[in-house]
Amino acid sequence: MHLLLIEDDQEAAAWLSKGLQSMGHVVDHAPDGEDGLHLALTGDYDVLIVDRMLPKRDGLSIIRMLRADGDLTPALVLSALGEVDDRVQGLRAGGDDYLVKPYAFEELLARLEVLTRRHKEQAPATQLKAADLVLDLTTHKVTRAGKTIRLQPKELQLLEYLMRHQDQIVTRNMLLEHVWDLHFDPQTNVVDTQISRLRGKIDKDFDKPLLHTIRGRGYRLSENE
Amino acid sequence: MNRLLRTSAIRLSLRYAMFYMLVAGAGLAILYWATSRYVDAQIEAGLEHHLKTLTKLFENKGAEGLRRALERRGIAAEPENHRFALYVDKSGKRLAGDLKAWPPRAKPNGRVSNVWIEDELIPFAMEDHDGYWPTIATTLPDGSRILVAQSVRQAEDLQEFILATLFATFTLVIGLTLALGWRMGRQLLTRIDQINATAGKILNGHLDQRIPVTGRGDEFDELAQKLNAMLDHINRLINGMRQVTDNVAHDLRRPLTRLRNRLDVTLLESRDAEDYRQALESTRGDIEEVLKTFNALLEIAQAESGHFRGEIEVLSLSELASQMGEMYVDLFDAEGQHLVLAIEPGICVRGNRQLLAQSISNLLENAHKYAGSKAQVTLSLQGDQAGAVLSVGDNGPGIPKDQQENVLRRYVRLDRARSTPGNGLGLSLVNAIAQLHHARLMIEDNAPGLAVSLHFDAVACPSEQTPA
Repeated sequence: MHLLLIEDDQEAAAWLSKGLQSMGHVVDHAPDGEDGLHLALTGDYDVLIVDRMLPKRDGLSIIRMLRADGDLTPALVLSALGEVDDRVQGLRAGGDDYLVKPYAFEELLARLEVLTRRHKEQAPATQLKAADLVLDLTTHKVTRAGKTIRLQPKELQLLEYLMRHQDQIVTRNMLLEHVWDLHFDPQTNVVDTQISRLRGKIDKDFDKPLLHTIRGRGYRLSENE
Repeated sequence: MNRLLRTSAIRLSLRYAMFYMLVAGAGLAILYWATSRYVDAQIEAGLEHHLKTLTKLFENKGAEGLRRALERRGIAAEPENHRFALYVDKSGKRLAGDLKAWPPRAKPNGRVSNVWIEDELIPFAMEDHDGYWPTIATTLPDGSRILVAQSVRQAEDLQEFILATLFATFTLVIGLTLALGWRMGRQLLTRIDQINATAGKILNGHLDQRIPVTGRGDEFDELAQKLNAMLDHINRLINGMRQVTDNVAHDLRRPLTRLRNRLDVTLLESRDAEDYRQALESTRGDIEEVLKTFNALLEIAQAESGHFRGEIEVLSLSELASQMGEMYVDLFDAEGQHLVLAIEPGICVRGNRQLLAQSISNLLENAHKYAGSKAQVTLSLQGDQAGAVLSVGDNGPGIPKDQQENVLRRYVRLDRARSTPGNGLGLSLVNAIAQLHHARLMIEDNAPGLAVSLHFDAVACPSEQTPA
């Protein structure tokens, strides 16, 4: 992926670039808002990583300018520990996702992955498929190998999110945000219990497990290990 | 002294003294004038009457009768009256009377006027000697003349008395006003000096100093009480902050030290990649713990500051509580505990969804952690006219009564909790969120166990919202 990182903290930017490059991405770095806007307007990027507080021009205004210009490149907003309101502002300005510092690098990676996929996948599907697991988006019916699986509404939402991000790692925070609309870290592993419950319904009676736990990172719904 | 003169009390009293002087002066001047007029009129009437009597005597008894009557009466007859008569013949020769000669300016016209009477005319030395005396004189039918004059001593006495009174009153009024102002100024300064002295001590670090309250209930007491209350509040805040700083230092030192030790040991000798990876993973875990503590602290600070900028809306607490409850059911089951939901539908509150969700989450997680295995926990929501009550109750060991208030404070972890993970910030965050929502947090004995409840004000649900 070709990424633009707009971040004024040189050290953080250096580490982040290094990390992203080691994951096979190409990273351009802009140290202030004006540079960032210039690069974003002239370059062709898959995802923009934009710090909110920047010298010369703040991050949200960069995104606003781009959106006004018709540029829909997905943008991930980074911010120092934010109030709930900041998150809303960030998303309203046209940001596609919002990550509060300090964040885990895994979290950033997972979200970047999701953003690029989301950007590409434009046609709305009526059916989601993972191996023999099928989720019908119109009837909300779930079957695996032809057998109907009964899911409660939240389980359905959880499964839908996982299936939409098939083969990607999704973190606990991503699930909390998108399935339960909760923007804080519970102290307990409450997400894990929800995953095991879902796993009990879609994997337990079948040979090949689809829902995998990736230690220290999150979960992945995938045909492959 | 200079300061005293500058006080508002002294200035005010000086102004009052001036005003009193003006008023009293005007009053006394009027009194003086009126009295003088009265005395003049009295003298005039007396003189006219006297002259009339003497004229009548002449008409009845003739010149000789008048002369003898005057001789007989003499001065001794009416010394205190100080009225002097004189009877002279046509040529002006003295026939009888008290005065030695006819005053040159006295005209026998039968009207009272002030005539200059010299000392030589007065028969004996008198204290009040010469002066303009009210005098009346007339010419009798035989051409002789008669004159009556009144010494001014009485009138002067009266005037002097009035003037003396005036002066005395002035002195008294000014003296009293100044004394009063002085006293008031001194009192004012004393009280302000007390406040100043207290402020000075506080500035020098004696934060426990308070302004004395006299108990008189005056405006200074009111000011002192307000200032003292303010100082108490500031003191509480400072103590809270100090405690937090101490606790942060304490709580962060533990994971940071552990982290440091692990890194030291790892770097002691060269290891294989797997060892390094493990060390780094543990390090990340420790850092995560530190960050969580930080985040919790910041969230509390944000909620407690009261300047919450997030979205506040009317939302269905029933729906939120159900969602949270359902989310946590499995967590309780996994530990052999049981979570019961008793949520009344259609209850709304005004608040922030994220913060309320976090409160419920914290309460449930507390119950999960501390109620013990096999505990039954109930998440209930009930509403009535007065408001909504969200409660998490368990049948675990509970909290001793004397410690119930303590658990709301930051970092307080009862002995039992020391061994479990957590930062001791959960309930104080719930408390801060409750305060932000004008809700009351109550900790009760669930007999057995613990019940923590949030009491919200009732809000009508928006009509388009379907009850949960």
